[in-house]
Amino acid sequence: MENKAEIAIDIKNLTKLYPGRMALNEITFSVKKGSVHGFLGPNGAGKSTTMKILSGLIPESSGTFSVNGKVGFLPEHPPVYPGMSVEDYLQFVFDIYSPAQKNKKAVADVMEKTGLLHVRERLIGNLSKGYQQRVGIAQALVHNPEIIILDEPTVGLDPVAIADIRELITKLKKDHTILFSTHQLHDVELLCSDITLINNGKIVVTGALEGILKSLKTRMVISAHVEKFSEENKKEMMAKFKLLSIEFSPDIEKSQILLKIEANMTSTLKREIARFLTEDSIGLLEFKEDDLSLEEVFKQMIH
Amino acid sequence: MYFRKINILVKKELKDAFLSPLIYILTGLFCSIMGWLFFNYLMQAKTLTSASMTQAVITPIFGNINFIFVFLCPMISMRSFAEEKKQSTLDLLLRSQLSEMQIILGKFISNMVLVFFMISFTFIFPVILAVSGYSDWGVVGSSYVGVLLSVMAYLSVGLFCSSLTDNQIVASLLTFCIILGSMLLVITVNASNNYIFSLLVQYMTVPFHYEGFTKGLFRSYSFIYFASYLGFFFLLTLKSLQARKW
Repeated sequence: MENKAEIAIDIKNLTKLYPGRMALNEITFSVKKGSVHGFLGPNGAGKSTTMKILSGLIPESSGTFSVNGKVGFLPEHPPVYPGMSVEDYLQFVFDIYSPAQKNKKAVADVMEKTGLLHVRERLIGNLSKGYQQRVGIAQALVHNPEIIILDEPTVGLDPVAIADIRELITKLKKDHTILFSTHQLHDVELLCSDITLINNGKIVVTGALEGILKSLKTRMVISAHVEKFSEENKKEMMAKFKLLSIEFSPDIEKSQILLKIEANMTSTLKREIARFLTEDSIGLLEFKEDDLSLEEVFKQMIH
Repeated sequence: MYFRKINILVKKELKDAFLSPLIYILTGLFCSIMGWLFFNYLMQAKTLTSASMTQAVITPIFGNINFIFVFLCPMISMRSFAEEKKQSTLDLLLRSQLSEMQIILGKFISNMVLVFFMISFTFIFPVILAVSGYSDWGVVGSSYVGVLLSVMAYLSVGLFCSSLTDNQIVASLLTFCIILGSMLLVITVNASNNYIFSLLVQYMTVPFHYEGFTKGLFRSYSFIYFASYLGFFFLLTLKSLQARKW
């Protein structure tokens, strides 16, 4: 289906057995070159195990995988030496990962990319968690890998730091293929073009984010602002459109009423509801279909 | 290229070590004990001839250097892998272009440099003796070779123990127990009635080989002993590092 050259990571029937426990059960998925691929799943689903295998840290039990290009890896805990300065540390990582190269600029470049230039002299142990995480990401980047694997880059950070990391990933996606795991579904919606969902060592779903959201969309949620709304209106609508629920609450400040309508997905329903609400006795002011959030998809798939 | 890669690690390790207080504390401790012992041995010596100096000062001093390193080596080597494990930086090294053996050698060489740094302060003893006319340099030289070889053996044990755990205290205690245990084999030697058996066990102990060096003897089988001692513990360390793949 896809061109071979366009696949950065290809995993086929990968299985990992730990004594008495199957961490990965024949998982198969691929990561397209140049994409940002979100790797989701509850704790203990097998995300870290997959990433460790891909980065060559632990061997697989069976199955195959191919990684087309150098890999930069940020494990769950950033592998930093607290007693080293940021610059010395990155230089050391650069030296042991590409000992044949003598690129003086590599470290300065990566510090600029990750916004570490102003802390280059400071000891890593004295930096905040957000900055240590940045150093961890810089460490994965410094030898200029084509593929970057990040294991929960935003875990345990404050909202500002999370936004910074998100911005950094956005910057990186121009030049690198990125596979990252996260619990921040918001990140995934903002950053990823593809996702893979894993649970109990098995792939639940994998593919383009939009396609997955669309295929899973069986319900729709509409929020509307109207001038007037009563219990009778509610009963009438429920009967007429076979809705799942209607909630309404008055917004006193704007003297409006806020409606939340949930219904099963049918092609013409949305139009019909809109027409109904524009009647004089109700008076439609605003009408919007809410997107199905990834969080709901996530819950739906896992349970 | 092989050694340049090791060199990268050695440099980093040494910078780490010399920026932390531990090495200075150990060196201070070592120097004060050795200085005090040297002074006492010198005071006890009744005559000041080359032969009597060797007997009364040089031999016991080197015996003590060797004994003190039984305690110091575990403290020097305990960080090597245990700390890396604790900081989860060991994976960073293992994923790099350095092979497992290069990592082990890098750690070992940097530990050796630290020990050499400590021992270098004892160079003042022969200098002091030289001022009073001492000239038996062969014994001094072979004693230093002996100390270095046995320290290498201790450090290789330490490296292995450090690779087993992420707790530095456990690593250093285990190292100490193994080194001391192998020294106490001498008791078995004394207790045994079987001549061949006691010779065999005696050959296994570090002090037996070290003793030759303090008398100024370079015995080829002692070099083979230390080489195989190092090789054995390097192999164990290598297997321990590879255990993550089991």
